[in-house]
Amino acid sequence: MSSPIRILTAVPICDGHDSAINTINLEFIRHGIEVIYLGYHRSVSDIVRAGIQEDVRAIGISSYNGGHIEFFAAVVDLLRKKGADDIKVFGGGGGTITRDDATKMRRKGVDEIFFAGTSLDDMVKFVHQRYGKPRSRRPRPQSFDQELAHKLTQIEEVYGSGNRKRPTPRFSRAKRALNCGGLTPLSPRTSKVIGFTGPGGAGKTTLIDELVLRFLHRNSKGRIAILSHDPSVVGEGALLGDRATMINSQHDRVFMRSMATRGQAGGLSPATHDCLALLAQSNFDYVIIETVGTGQEAMPFQKNGIVDSTVLVMNPDYGSRLQLQKIVMLDLADIVVVNKSDLQRARTAHTEIEQRLDQNRRHQQLVDTVAKRHRDSGADRLFELISDRQ
Amino acid sequence: MSKLGQVVESVENYNKFVLDQVKRARTDQKFGRDLLGRWNDTKAKIPVTRTPTGLPLPRLALPEIDEPGEIARFIFGEGLPGQFPYLNAAYPEMYLEPIREIESFDKNGSRSRSALDTGKKLTQPEEPTRLFSGLMLAEDTNERFHYLTRHQRTHRLSTAFDGPTLYGLDSDADGVFGKIGEGGVAIDTVEDMVRLYDGFDLGSANFSASMTISGPAPMIMAMYIAAAKRRFGPKVVSRLRGTVQADIFKEVQAQNETIFPIEPSLRFLADMVEFTTREMPRWYPISISGYHIGEAGSTPVQQAAYTLSNGFAYAEMFAARGIPVDQFGPRLSFFLDCGLDAEYIALSRVSRRIWAIGMRDVFGAGARAQLFKLHTQTSGRSLIAAEFKNNLTRTATELILSYMNATNSCHSNSADEPFTTPSEEWIRLAAHGQAILLEESGIFKHTMNMLSGSPGMKAVERAVEAAILNEFREIERLGGVLAAVEERYQRSQIQNAAHRYEQQIYDGTRPIIGLNKYRDNDEDAPEVKLVRTPRAKQQLQVDRVQKFKKKNAEKAKRALDQLATVAERGDNVFPALLEAAEVCSLGQITGRLQEVVGRFRPMV
Ligand code: B12
Repeated sequence: MSSPIRILTAVPICDGHDSAINTINLEFIRHGIEVIYLGYHRSVSDIVRAGIQEDVRAIGISSYNGGHIEFFAAVVDLLRKKGADDIKVFGGGGGTITRDDATKMRRKGVDEIFFAGTSLDDMVKFVHQRYGKPRSRRPRPQSFDQELAHKLTQIEEVYGSGNRKRPTPRFSRAKRALNCGGLTPLSPRTSKVIGFTGPGGAGKTTLIDELVLRFLHRNSKGRIAILSHDPSVVGEGALLGDRATMINSQHDRVFMRSMATRGQAGGLSPATHDCLALLAQSNFDYVIIETVGTGQEAMPFQKNGIVDSTVLVMNPDYGSRLQLQKIVMLDLADIVVVNKSDLQRARTAHTEIEQRLDQNRRHQQLVDTVAKRHRDSGADRLFELISDRQ
Repeated sequence: MSKLGQVVESVENYNKFVLDQVKRARTDQKFGRDLLGRWNDTKAKIPVTRTPTGLPLPRLALPEIDEPGEIARFIFGEGLPGQFPYLNAAYPEMYLEPIREIESFDKNGSRSRSALDTGKKLTQPEEPTRLFSGLMLAEDTNERFHYLTRHQRTHRLSTAFDGPTLYGLDSDADGVFGKIGEGGVAIDTVEDMVRLYDGFDLGSANFSASMTISGPAPMIMAMYIAAAKRRFGPKVVSRLRGTVQADIFKEVQAQNETIFPIEPSLRFLADMVEFTTREMPRWYPISISGYHIGEAGSTPVQQAAYTLSNGFAYAEMFAARGIPVDQFGPRLSFFLDCGLDAEYIALSRVSRRIWAIGMRDVFGAGARAQLFKLHTQTSGRSLIAAEFKNNLTRTATELILSYMNATNSCHSNSADEPFTTPSEEWIRLAAHGQAILLEESGIFKHTMNMLSGSPGMKAVERAVEAAILNEFREIERLGGVLAAVEERYQRSQIQNAAHRYEQQIYDGTRPIIGLNKYRDNDEDAPEVKLVRTPRAKQQLQVDRVQKFKKKNAEKAKRALDQLATVAERGDNVFPALLEAAEVCSLGQITGRLQEVVGRFRPMV
């Protein structure tokens, strides 16, 4: 079984008409397609950067507020300029894109425009037929990010969609994948790898994006990589939506890759380990890995693995103290964050967790944050803690 | 329990109260007799009008009941038009044509005729037609405004802004070229604002401006005030009439034009409301909107439930600011969608009733603050590209439904809606559609309650009210509106409904004539005239804003610093915005405020 098709979708800048694309996203993922959704009001450069980093087969754009001829053409041109014209562009915009417009757009390199009244089935069929076959020869990567993105794709494809067994030996597998493109040798490992985990809805994504903002401010040259995960079942699609909310991470100094778990339990994908190993060797200052929001019975990151520090992000509303007892992660994480500490229960949560950490006697740190708040001092503190850790 | 939970209780209690009154009217003889007496009095006072064919009709139609219990059910459960709980209408006469000649019954039942041209002056009501428009640059939209109002006594303009403006960006911002003046008018500075309403008397009692913008609403509002002051002097401010949409909750739930994080967005909104309720007694500083929720694909019940609950959340917020409910309550207005689903037979009627009960019994509002003043727009989403001339019929049907719900004003969409900002040909037909319904046809001009109260309508009312209250309970369970918004509750509900809606089109559950039913041929692309902004015009706007910024660079810096200081301190930013609007562009203000409070983080 081959890997699911990966598609990026977005709505152009100054346009918030997302109803069509939301429906199409849902329809795609029900039909086995992995959709990386960048959200609405997105610029050409954000779209192209995301397309290249995620190394998708195609970019689907839904445009309603006019200027579509220019916008689609600008996306195609920038992809071409970046040597990524094997990433195709298609889209729609109901009745606002006329047949004449569509003809012009096709001439400028857009694969297909779907008019008002096209059935959802037809669009799904199109994607499967047009972008479902394995890619033949890839163009030579023209940039570091593109090369990295291609390698990550190779790793993900080696694991396929149904492969739940851990291939052995793990590194050689990844290496084989890496070498088949005749790529430059890996540089020595340089990055600090930080793992973020915690229950769904605790605010991991927002918090990471806030840390990225601080990093970009603090450091005028450095780069960060993010490996983010969303759940999916074997053979089915997934909605990978973190990019839409991670506004600060849509930046040339951030390399972000979204992965679906493809049936693996524990909040990571079968290919995660190898992808992470690759990123960790790719000269980033930090590599951040974010798990799916999972139960916290087990630690998703291995002890003595690639991850240097682990951060557990908690929601103060975890329930009773009894619930807290079950959270094994509390004993293993290096830093525990109580996010949404503006909620009423946050103080109690802080005290209960603090007691538990004290019992552990492991010098674990506890930080309270309100990630959604601009310039939150808790997030500042977390950033300092992470920067200081060796 | 949050206020929303209390609203649920208040409606349940009110319904119990109505039943109690029914029972009492049947058991307590004196009470019953009194009611019957009042009822007969009311009926006797209803003037009779004559249709052009000479048919006499009462100006108000009432159910034919003479049993005290049923009278109680009507009086308390529905209310006469203009009376609590306002199910039938917010005002007594709405679109009735002014009385030329009336007949009335005097006490002893004999008829008398009187001509009304003696003494009292005929006051004509404002026309309810209000067409949303905005295209290209300010001067182009200005021309459209003059075109639309050329036959109207009162000038009620409704302004659509282009994408960059809606997102608080200047026309020279990175990457927005191509979108300038598309789908709405490009406004960057106070100078554009002056051009936009040129030739209209902004301080006149016959003029009102509606501005459909929410994220940057406080800035745009400040620019509007600045423009009015430039043209008519500082005294005009207290006389300005109009509405700015400024509905942040629905932006986050459905329309996606929030530019600051939710909390500061709400704070700036409350700053503006505090200012306008004090200084601009005729201004509506917020239009609580379900239209966009409906258009994003929600069910009608979701639309009404989220709109009302958002409204109650705003009321709670303004009250917490210390603004008295009888001061802000009358300045709130509402905006709903009207599509073709059965719920629309009574959706706004039910909404009006729930709002009145909640405001009175939970917020302690007086009569004027209980009114759910409603603007309706026919559904854009129900209009489709295939055989698009059918859209005329769709819109006409929706217009009937809107006026059956006694909307206070209404926008009818043009048939070319799926393709483009409407061209004059179709916009004219859309406006005429309303005139035909209200002026040519006899459906709404002779008699209030002409179509109210059918058994079917009542059945819809009961079902819709129960469903709305259920939605309230769910939101309450999640911790109230803000908590539910932050959890994406409304968004995900709307998205699921939208997905189902599209699936139903393609599996045939929802017949769409000309698309999945009675489709004869795959027509070629229809011939519609597209309204698009030429590149040269877009460039002109870019040049204008750059020139403005250059000219005011120095003053702008000072104004922005001042604004940032106030925002940083947490004081009311509106006075500083008024200063800034004189010398800064929209994008400059947005940018500076975002530095202080951050940018909105979109939700999927
Ligand atoms: C719904 C809607 C809204 C909702 C949007 C809610 C939301 N969250 O999406 C609301 C009410 C908020 C809204 C607001 C505005 N809107 Co509007 N809106 C529409 C409307 C009625 C329907 C669009 C829609 O979603 N249809 C449902 C989808 C599923 O069907 P479809 O459009 O036919 O698309 C089909 C295919 O094209 C295809 N498709 C579409 N995209 C993609 C992408 C991919 C990848 C693929 C494969 C296929 C595909 O899938 C569909 C199924 O077959 C259209 C008019 C119309 N009837 O089409 C106006 C319309 C698009 N809006 C318009 C305008 C101007 C605006 C505003 C700018 C108005 C203003 N000035 O305030 C604002 C801006 C909003 C914003 N944030 O940007 C104009 C655009 C005019 C133009 N380009 O010249 C239109 C055409 C109406 C008009 N005639 O004025 N709008």
